[in-house]
Amino acid sequence: MALLEVKELDVSLSTAMGPARAVRNLDIILEKGQTLGIVGESGCGKSMTALALMGLLPENGTTSGEILMNGEDLLVKSEKEMCKIRGNRMAMIFQEPMTSLNPVHTVGRQIMEPLRLHRGLSKKDAFTEAVNLMERVGIPNPSERVRNYPHQLSGGQRQRVMIAIALSCSPDILIADEPTTALDVTIQDQILELIQNLVKEEGMSLILISHDLGVIAENTDKVLVMYGGTVVESGATDQIFGNLTHPYTQGLFAAMPKLGMGRNGRLTTIPGTVPDLINLPTGCTFTDRCPLATSECRNTVPVAFSLEAAHKVSCHHLDQAIEARGEGLYK
Amino acid sequence: MSSSSSQSFFARCTRSRSFVVGGTITAFLLLCAVVSLVWTPGEVYDISIKNRFLLPSAEHWFGTDLFGRDILSLLMAGTQNSITVGVVAVSIGLFAGVGLGLIASARRGWTEELIMRFSDFSFAFPAILSAIMITAILGPGGVNSIIAIGIYNVPVFARITRGTANAIWTREYVMAARASGKGKFRITMEHVLPNILSILIVQATIQFAIAILAEAALSYLGLGTQPPHPSWGRMLNEAQTLMFLQPMQAVYPGAAIALAVFGLNLLGDGLRDVLDPRLSRKR
Repeated sequence: MALLEVKELDVSLSTAMGPARAVRNLDIILEKGQTLGIVGESGCGKSMTALALMGLLPENGTTSGEILMNGEDLLVKSEKEMCKIRGNRMAMIFQEPMTSLNPVHTVGRQIMEPLRLHRGLSKKDAFTEAVNLMERVGIPNPSERVRNYPHQLSGGQRQRVMIAIALSCSPDILIADEPTTALDVTIQDQILELIQNLVKEEGMSLILISHDLGVIAENTDKVLVMYGGTVVESGATDQIFGNLTHPYTQGLFAAMPKLGMGRNGRLTTIPGTVPDLINLPTGCTFTDRCPLATSECRNTVPVAFSLEAAHKVSCHHLDQAIEARGEGLYK
Repeated sequence: MSSSSSQSFFARCTRSRSFVVGGTITAFLLLCAVVSLVWTPGEVYDISIKNRFLLPSAEHWFGTDLFGRDILSLLMAGTQNSITVGVVAVSIGLFAGVGLGLIASARRGWTEELIMRFSDFSFAFPAILSAIMITAILGPGGVNSIIAIGIYNVPVFARITRGTANAIWTREYVMAARASGKGKFRITMEHVLPNILSILIVQATIQFAIAILAEAALSYLGLGTQPPHPSWGRMLNEAQTLMFLQPMQAVYPGAAIALAVFGLNLLGDGLRDVLDPRLSRKR
């Protein structure tokens, strides 16, 4: 049995204009110790997926499907039961370290809280453990820093504190939602390496959410490429990055700046914008922006087609897409 | 906490002029109340008609009233009354109002609707009118007027708490706290309340001033403190009939009420500057 198995997860948010379908028909299988990347542009449902897994959707959100953790469906659990799982068996690191810590409490206290809540440590033991955790996440001089308030730490250090909080109860699954987006490029690598090392040491599973293909390529075993709330391509990381297939994945890649493109070289873009989640197009959601789109794409939803073991692509024009790998679909 | 931050807190206090002036006035009133507990220049409850309407002298600094009581002593003893009313009425408002506001903000949905519509409903009646209504039901008297003013304070605090708490609930650190498995009660106590405390303290000083005014008004109308207990509002009431014969009789209690309200409002302003630098006006 997989550690985490998500089956046909749908998330919709009720808005004044009607329901916005943030996530549709999402399947995830995550084994113990595996790292899964979720990649896609803003508004594709990455963060909503993470929040749905944690049971922290906004109040106007509804879910259907199944989220099985060790065979238990998290979606049918009560808020009280979820409180025991959150931070304990499943923890999350957020994008904004600058605002994810409470300004009125010391960082030490904030690391101690989950230790006392979930592991029932005494104040003294929790304090010692907090200092240990701060040392483990690479904060210099932890026995003094533990008494600091968040505003006295740098962005990178605050993210390290967030990681320490997430790690404090050795969760089975760590969800990192754009953990390095708000940080300096120089700090990004250090933080990702730290997360990688800790995940390996603890034998945790990691779900890494990012819009940065480089980050995903270096840090994950498996990848889901999401577009408009649904998965368009999934598979092992080296399969996907070795054989870019879905027109959207190819577009994401083409849009990355490349070394040696010269200072006047223009970045390739995917024309158009992400679909409106309230009025989703029928058929394939990528139709309006896809260079290969035909009337078939507009009318019918493509099914996931297996290229090779576990590498699945949802596209009506697979052959053309594969052919176009060489010269590129986007000019 | 290290000494540097307490120093900067002290420095911020002294830099805010409103805090210094308001604090001094409030401290002075507190001192008057405490001193009057053990000593007043003259007797507060002794009536001697032959000494009525004496002019200010070395013995009676502000003169005497129509019953021959020393006005300074009455003013000092009246401070006790005003401060008691303020403290109790604001405490009632704080405990009930902040509690309700926090519940509304944490539960949302129909609980919030119920609490907030109920406070809208009680807001529909002007403060003094609802206080008169309550004293009419419970009967006039010092304690009942305090309860009336306290009840009036509940929706004030409920509203401000719910509004500011709702803003805190959307912060990322609350989301992070939920992600670490904390329940709504813990989040309310550990994250929401400490972050809205400064706003509540400032509001409390302002409500304190309003409570003093309301008590004076109720006593003036004869619904508050009953004779022979000294109260600024009742002194005004007694002076009213003598407005054209002895105008100074009304000036002293009026000035005392004005000073107290002025001092507390300044203190509230100053506290806002000190506690929440982001809210303070640019000077």
